[in-house]
Amino acid sequence: MKLLEYEAKEIFARSGIPTPQGGVVRVPEEVEKWLNLPGDRVVLKAQVEVGGRGKAGGVVITEKSEAVLKARDLFSKTIKGIAIREVLVEEFLPIQKEFYLAITVDRSSKGALLLFAESGGADIEDLAERDPRAVRRTLLSPLVPEVPQFMLRYLTGKAPKEVGQVIQALYRVFREKDAILAEINPLASTARGMVAADAKLIVDDNALKRQGIAVNRDLSMRERVAEENGFSYVDLAGTIGVIGNGAGLTMATLDLIEYYKGSAANFLDVGGGAGEERVKLAVQLVAENPSVNVIVVNLLGGITRCDEVARGIISAGVSQRVIVRLAGTNEEEGRRLLAERGYEMLGNMDEVVRAALEVKG
Amino acid sequence: MIYGDRKTGVIVQGATGQQGAFHLKLMNEYAKEVGGTGVVAGVTPGKGGQEVHGIPVYDSVRDALLEHDATTAVLFVPGGAAGDSIMEEAEAGVELVVAITEHIPVHDTMRAIAYAKLHGCAVIGPNCPGVLSPGELKLGIMPSSLFSRGHVGVISRSGTLTYEVVDELTRRGIGQSTVVGIGGDPVIGQTFSDVLARFEEDPATKAMVLIGEVGGNLEEEGAGSTDLPLVAYIAGVSAPPEKRMGHAGAIAEGGEGDAKGKIRRLRGLGIRVADRVSEIPDIVTDFL
Repeated sequence: MKLLEYEAKEIFARSGIPTPQGGVVRVPEEVEKWLNLPGDRVVLKAQVEVGGRGKAGGVVITEKSEAVLKARDLFSKTIKGIAIREVLVEEFLPIQKEFYLAITVDRSSKGALLLFAESGGADIEDLAERDPRAVRRTLLSPLVPEVPQFMLRYLTGKAPKEVGQVIQALYRVFREKDAILAEINPLASTARGMVAADAKLIVDDNALKRQGIAVNRDLSMRERVAEENGFSYVDLAGTIGVIGNGAGLTMATLDLIEYYKGSAANFLDVGGGAGEERVKLAVQLVAENPSVNVIVVNLLGGITRCDEVARGIISAGVSQRVIVRLAGTNEEEGRRLLAERGYEMLGNMDEVVRAALEVKG
Repeated sequence: MIYGDRKTGVIVQGATGQQGAFHLKLMNEYAKEVGGTGVVAGVTPGKGGQEVHGIPVYDSVRDALLEHDATTAVLFVPGGAAGDSIMEEAEAGVELVVAITEHIPVHDTMRAIAYAKLHGCAVIGPNCPGVLSPGELKLGIMPSSLFSRGHVGVISRSGTLTYEVVDELTRRGIGQSTVVGIGGDPVIGQTFSDVLARFEEDPATKAMVLIGEVGGNLEEEGAGSTDLPLVAYIAGVSAPPEKRMGHAGAIAEGGEGDAKGKIRRLRGLGIRVADRVSEIPDIVTDFL
């Protein structure tokens, strides 16, 4: 789950990474509380969980005298369709130089990947593409508790020594907070030293509980309901409802719909070992979507038993046509139950997808 | 038989849990069917002295190994404790850990895999269905009734999609040498290239099926490293682009990761890629 900038900055500050002075407000008038920050100007930053905020007008530099007015403007805006509920008010920092710093999980080496560049900002990706050597990289084994000195020397090059301390602190945050990404862009060199002008922290979804995070805000309402019931759900734009078991098989079913020029309304993986109740909820959740005119069920029983799946489909009792492919554990019993109720069953995934495409909306 | 044969002795860690006990039983039914050793001991801290389906349970892996010969462990321990269990297996001298567990925090996975490597222990998974060599050995949760013995090796990041492919192969009379589910997590122990290296040494394997997914570049890395004839399938062509991982994701992975790009790169390496799962058996037939 992606933390908001101010949440990430609080964590960074506690770990010894300097951050700008300021705080978060939830109504424009609260901005007045922060007008004693140093300087004549303040920065207002919309707190939303999407990238490209600056380019979408979510960051405003303003004279203090106009700060409340500008905050009102900002609160009335949306960024990429997302309403702004929180705004971070910060001192305006005269920046001498910007750096880029990030630590992420590297699939290939199965450890941390550290990235540092002697220029930062929103165009860092262009720089990396234009001049790959401008972004220095090192890999670090998870068995090493801190970044070795030689690595810090290599990464920072001619940048101020202080940068090394920030890297060290960020690596500590990366490990202690179960992060899959910790990024500072830009890391700003100012008159009072290095400051994390922006902060990004994504916590591993599998570690939210031990990090004390109760609700995964990255999920939509429907996705959260699905997660609570043990399956995963994603809304899509088409008309064919899809239920499968296992992410790979469900994804392959969606791919097959696209291959035959159809469009899926959702991704729903009921997960391993789904029983009658979970299947029933899944079928009902998919059927609730008004765009869905036919539902494809593609289930391969391993831990999941086909008879349980059949009972779930039957007890869901939805109005849309349901076309079923069942194979594996207790397949005979499942087929018998569905046949009794007149459900349509086909032998493989190509057949069920083609049959679904013939259903007119 | 690239990760063991019917003589392989197996420990189940997390044996007293519902999943662990159920699959311990199925693994031993399979072992009985093929005349193999199967699961010789279970491990659950605090449950030493109990039995699960007639198999003795010990408090620790070390205790189990004092009484039994086992080289391999299958792990059903819950996510939060599973990283620790992998390290326990490795430290006690187990050579292969098959981690079925899903939802292991990735930092735990990274540490456990690195630690296991120091002890010469290979890890398959986590979040995987395990390994099945038809007629020889079952490690994990794959439904053995779909499998048949033969000469095609299968490596997959997905569980049920693997069963789908195996089912199609079996129905067409094409048997499998060994099927390995390497797991769906971003960080996994044995990758496509590690498993392919083992298949290369296996005289029973004449052709390979590689089932990949969106994310990372391990499919291309693996497929480029083998001389065995190989067909690939990549799930997720229709998947919406993943939520962006800051700038670092884009810088670190470049254009890698999405299914279409992956397919393009595989074809660029001269590898045959099936557009549909149902095409795989036809392509494999060309190789045999």
